Amino acid sequence: MSTTSVELPARRLREQPPRRAVAARWRRRLVGWAFVAPAVALFLLMGAYTIASGFLLSFAKWNGFTPSWRWVGLGNYADLLYADPSLAADLRRAVGNTAQIMVAVPLLTVAVSLPLAVMLNSITRLRAVLRSVYFLPYVTSGIAVYYAWRYVLAPDGAINLLLGSLGLGSLRQPQGFLGNPDTALPTLIVILVWSSVPVATLLYLSGLQAIDRGIVEAAHIDGAGSWHVMRRIIWPLLRPMTVAIALLGVRDALHGFQIFLIMTNGGPGGHTDVLGLMAYRLAFMKGLAPSLGHASALGWLLFAGAVLLTLANARLLRRVQ
Amino acid sequence: MTTVGKRVLGLAAALVMGLAACSSGGGGGGQEQAGQSLRMWTFKKSHADALNKAAAQFKAKTGISVTVEAVTPDDVFVSKVQSAAQTNGLPDVLEVHASGEDFEMGSSGLLQDLAADVTGDWKQRLLPSTQESGVLTQRKIDSVAADSPIKNGKAGQRFSVPFTAGAFGIVYANKDKLRAAGLDPDTPPKSWEEFLKALEATTGKNQGGLSLGLKISQTGFNWIYQPLAFAYLGKERFHALFGKGTTQGFGSPDGVKTLETYAKLTPYWMPGATTLGIDEADIAFAQGKSAFNVGGTFTLAFLVQNGMTPDKLLAFPIPPSAEGTHKQISMAPLALTGLSVTATTQNREAAIKWIDWVTSPEGAGMVAKESLDLPATDLGTQAEALLGKDLAALQKYFTGPPESAYEAGDDSFFPSDWDQVKPGDLTVRLTPLKEYGPQQAGTELDKVMASMWKSTK
Repeated sequence: MSTTSVELPARRLREQPPRRAVAARWRRRLVGWAFVAPAVALFLLMGAYTIASGFLLSFAKWNGFTPSWRWVGLGNYADLLYADPSLAADLRRAVGNTAQIMVAVPLLTVAVSLPLAVMLNSITRLRAVLRSVYFLPYVTSGIAVYYAWRYVLAPDGAINLLLGSLGLGSLRQPQGFLGNPDTALPTLIVILVWSSVPVATLLYLSGLQAIDRGIVEAAHIDGAGSWHVMRRIIWPLLRPMTVAIALLGVRDALHGFQIFLIMTNGGPGGHTDVLGLMAYRLAFMKGLAPSLGHASALGWLLFAGAVLLTLANARLLRRVQ
Repeated sequence: MTTVGKRVLGLAAALVMGLAACSSGGGGGGQEQAGQSLRMWTFKKSHADALNKAAAQFKAKTGISVTVEAVTPDDVFVSKVQSAAQTNGLPDVLEVHASGEDFEMGSSGLLQDLAADVTGDWKQRLLPSTQESGVLTQRKIDSVAADSPIKNGKAGQRFSVPFTAGAFGIVYANKDKLRAAGLDPDTPPKSWEEFLKALEATTGKNQGGLSLGLKISQTGFNWIYQPLAFAYLGKERFHALFGKGTTQGFGSPDGVKTLETYAKLTPYWMPGATTLGIDEADIAFAQGKSAFNVGGTFTLAFLVQNGMTPDKLLAFPIPPSAEGTHKQISMAPLALTGLSVTATTQNREAAIKWIDWVTSPEGAGMVAKESLDLPATDLGTQAEALLGKDLAALQKYFTGPPESAYEAGDDSFFPSDWDQVKPGDLTVRLTPLKEYGPQQAGTELDKVMASMWKSTK
């Protein structure tokens, strides 16, 4: 007993510092958690909850009003892919149009932005001004610009007027460039390229400025012409950038729907219907039909497509590097 | 008092104050005030303005104030109602599309059943063809798709009271342009063929052709083709075009003939008609870019808002073909919108009182005159005095022999998975795009109908 009474204060003395340390550690942890809690809560609410809820919705029928969902298993996916002849036909048409955009937009973006970036990189005077000018479409991009493009492309719009005054009347489109089924999709592709060129040009420009000037100068000293320098040195060094630009273009083509909604609503006669617009229409343009599940399922199919493309891109990048 | 004691007391005080604040917001003292104040949403700006003016009169009579908010366009309205339903933020009264949206919202538990409130007297003041609009029938429940929320409703429930009425397929002509093209500005064409000749004259004299918002592709099919085909074939053969497994479909001689007649419009569409939305086409007509414009009775208000004066307009229904079954057509008026009381309102009595007044001849007349939209309330001999002569003149196309009355609201012969965009896209490909001839368009329409019937579960 006496031993205990002597040892206890000593043990307390030995234990006190660790207790304080534990308390301090917990305080630090709590402060840390308090700082990150808002972000975590926001993510749980806006990210995890909506993602999980959207995923579950793809297995249900719901119109946004009824208190409960009706579970249909993989029915929504089956409807989109083959079971519902009406929906499956729409999906096939939208896939065809989206595929054309996915190929054309990245290719044309690279074809336009690379020469622009090389040009901007090679000049010293007015570079900043020109860079701002080329970046304008990105800054002004959005719904207002799409409306402005509609006026420009209308039957009595600026482009038809310009073609007429240049003596190129045969190229005029009496129904407007968006009213003719042969020109509607190509016109939208051109506008998509127009809005994606600024970022691509900036990316290429930063890539060009990162290339060691010594390599280019050495090639010139060895007698290589500008074309050979571009083809054999600059292009290979910019390949990772090209892959990134192409991937951005593909992603925009896969998910974008605003331009199609505002400029053509998928018309004329369904010639510009794309997957993003189809998902939007299933979610919000079907009145109160229980089609939110179909919209969600299409969204997840698009997500799967995007994941596959990302994996393909990562593989390509590894090979390039 | 110790520090801990002070903290406990402070916490208790805060709790009490919080609870008091909650209770005053939820009922109690607020109940009395809330009873005098209603909130209403509509999807039409012109209705909101007119209703707010009428609300001032209503407040003077009853002491109940009503604030009406416009949420436009229609799809945004639906989205807002969807999210408000999830967050318990619905207003007291909604204006909804009649005989469709009201059933879906009501059967989903968002609206109250008004069957016991809308009694015989109240019904009697409505146009006869609209009296039962808003009442769910067993036929409607049976006809909808298995996954439709309407299946949860019960026959006899009333989810809306008819508010505005009208018809689709009304042609508006610019009298100045008719005059400039050498046409009589006061005499509407009697037949489809005369209409085509008038279009030829205005187009030939550079006065413009026909505008319609074909960017919303179903407008051509719903507003022109359907009434034209109905008058051409008569009710039975017209319904047969849409039948399940029919041999009398769009690809049959009947169907092809009607498509051929419709496709005669091809040379006369306003340039770029396929790129215009409904409002944009109306604006183009108001700006003088076309001589003719197709819409509904509700289009008049929008044209006036955009600078046209009613005395410069000649209005008539889609004229029937001289070769068809019916040589005359009338447009059976259908309830276009209805007023509903939300399930979550704390002010049911006041809401019913407001709907009752605004669908009375006095209230409806006031709203109609302000909004230039026809009411579902039968104004009888007072119509011209209450509505003005231009709006009242549109009503004359509502009456005619029953066999030639086109009912745009009759969807009993459609597949339950009916998606009007699909036939709309195909008819746009027929005209103005000319990608299909009438026979091919008919065959494609039959395929679309067959797939919709197949999708109907």
